[in-house]
Amino acid sequence: MSSAISVRHLTKDFRVGLRGLKLRAVDDVSLEIPRGEVYGLLGPNGCGKSTTLKIVLGLVSATAGEVSILGCPSATPEARRRTGFLPEAPYFHKFLTGRELVRYCARLSGVPSADVAAAVEDALGLAAMTEAADRPIGTYSKGMLQRIGFAQAVVHDPELVILDEPTAGVDPVGSAAIGRMIHAMRAKGKTIVLCSHLLGQVEQVCDRVAIMDRGKLVLEGRVDDVLSRRDRHVLTVESMSPAAREAAEAALVAHGAVVTSVTHPRRSLEDLFRELVTGSRDA
Amino acid sequence: MQASFQRVSWIARVTFLEAVRQRFFAFLLILGAAMALSSVSFRVLDFGHGELKFIADFGFGGMFLFGSVLAVVMTAQLFFSEMDNKTALTLLAKPLGRGEFLLGKFAGAWSVLGVFVAVLSGLLGIVLWAREQELLLLAEQAGKVPPTFSASGLAQFALLQWLRLGVVASIVLAISAVARTFLYAVVVGALAVVAGQLQWIAQDAILKPSESPAYEAVLWCTSRLLPNLQQFNIGDALVLGAPGVPADAVGAVALAGAAYMAAYVFLGALLFKRREI
Repeated sequence: MSSAISVRHLTKDFRVGLRGLKLRAVDDVSLEIPRGEVYGLLGPNGCGKSTTLKIVLGLVSATAGEVSILGCPSATPEARRRTGFLPEAPYFHKFLTGRELVRYCARLSGVPSADVAAAVEDALGLAAMTEAADRPIGTYSKGMLQRIGFAQAVVHDPELVILDEPTAGVDPVGSAAIGRMIHAMRAKGKTIVLCSHLLGQVEQVCDRVAIMDRGKLVLEGRVDDVLSRRDRHVLTVESMSPAAREAAEAALVAHGAVVTSVTHPRRSLEDLFRELVTGSRDA
Repeated sequence: MQASFQRVSWIARVTFLEAVRQRFFAFLLILGAAMALSSVSFRVLDFGHGELKFIADFGFGGMFLFGSVLAVVMTAQLFFSEMDNKTALTLLAKPLGRGEFLLGKFAGAWSVLGVFVAVLSGLLGIVLWAREQELLLLAEQAGKVPPTFSASGLAQFALLQWLRLGVVASIVLAISAVARTFLYAVVVGALAVVAGQLQWIAQDAILKPSESPAYEAVLWCTSRLLPNLQQFNIGDALVLGAPGVPADAVGAVALAGAAYMAAYVFLGALLFKRREI
């Protein structure tokens, strides 16, 4: 079975200024994104990840290289029919209500007339936007905009969902809600490509990651493989007395181990925040 | 084919909704309507021409002027709002062809121009009819032949104006497909309207013998590539009766307008395909 996304030797040059100077945004990048996984594409601003996604979606042409989505050349409507996309900082027509927007996108995505109403309700439900669906988009908060953007991206039940900075500008509660939507999509067997600066979230939801810098791919692999340090170990122990701790350290040293640090585990500030504000949906 | 038509109609529908909500559209519609309605008050300035002709010319002028401004500015604005706000990113990431997108934008803009022409023509028709009734009574009392206007002629004129504005909108859309900024598209679009109004000069000149093949080539290209927008201005003959316009001549003008619209939308779609979003 073909990969969800296959990128081979992709290069993109932009011409800038009056003299047409060449700016290489993507430099010989090759990627294979397997089906059914959550894939994180990371990198600093201007590293070429958004350009790569735009080429994948056929919005920008490649200078060199090949890109295919689910076995189809990426620039074809057939490839886009099976793909959902949430752009970075999405902006929608403010005069439409959330429901009208999702219906509009369903019709453009080729959802049959008879199925549109059910597909719209499913997408709104998945994005937890059913209650606010009849309000004009102009009244939505940043988090709600991201969620309605998510709903329009998945309304046609795509096999592949591409999310460009889905949590940019969203508070931790909204960010966690988007994380839950990603988990729900993965549970349905969808492939999700997530482009984000929030490394903590990427670590939590992604199966694989790729890191880009200055247009080049610098690292790619399974999250567990790229993050774990095989030469070090962490023991988490409850109710340990100082004497037990000394004895444990001595035992480890006796077996040739080097104890580099013994500390109390910390929870993340994001976890603490989410724990304290549980119940509030969105600012 | 049916799916493609549906996608185009959805783009057109949302474009239409976006356009009619703009204050700019309402402002120009009110200005045009005020011009058509106020023509009765200015009829004393008819410079010796018939009153109905003066009223009709006043209304035609409003339709031409404000319609042209609307066709240029609104069409460019509807296109660039999608580009600048990045809504085009969301839409074009769907199984929607670039040609379908552009055709939908054109259809939406042209529909709004249709509303504009219909409202102004309707108001002008009411003003002309009301004054015609007054003049009928006066003419009867004076034993003169009363002036009349043709409602069907006004409808034909309105249709031709709609086509003319459609040609302008299609040119602006083709320019917008390659323009980097809204201002550039508006300025070049406005220049294209002026050139279209003066195109008859090139048509006249090409009939005269010239010794320069380059000059002839330029004239030939100008007279073929640019539409002659003056050919739509046959309101007097259509609305005020004599000498009248043969139906086949009106049909030929309408056909030429439709052909130019189709050609410029097609050109715009080709250019837009190469644009990076």
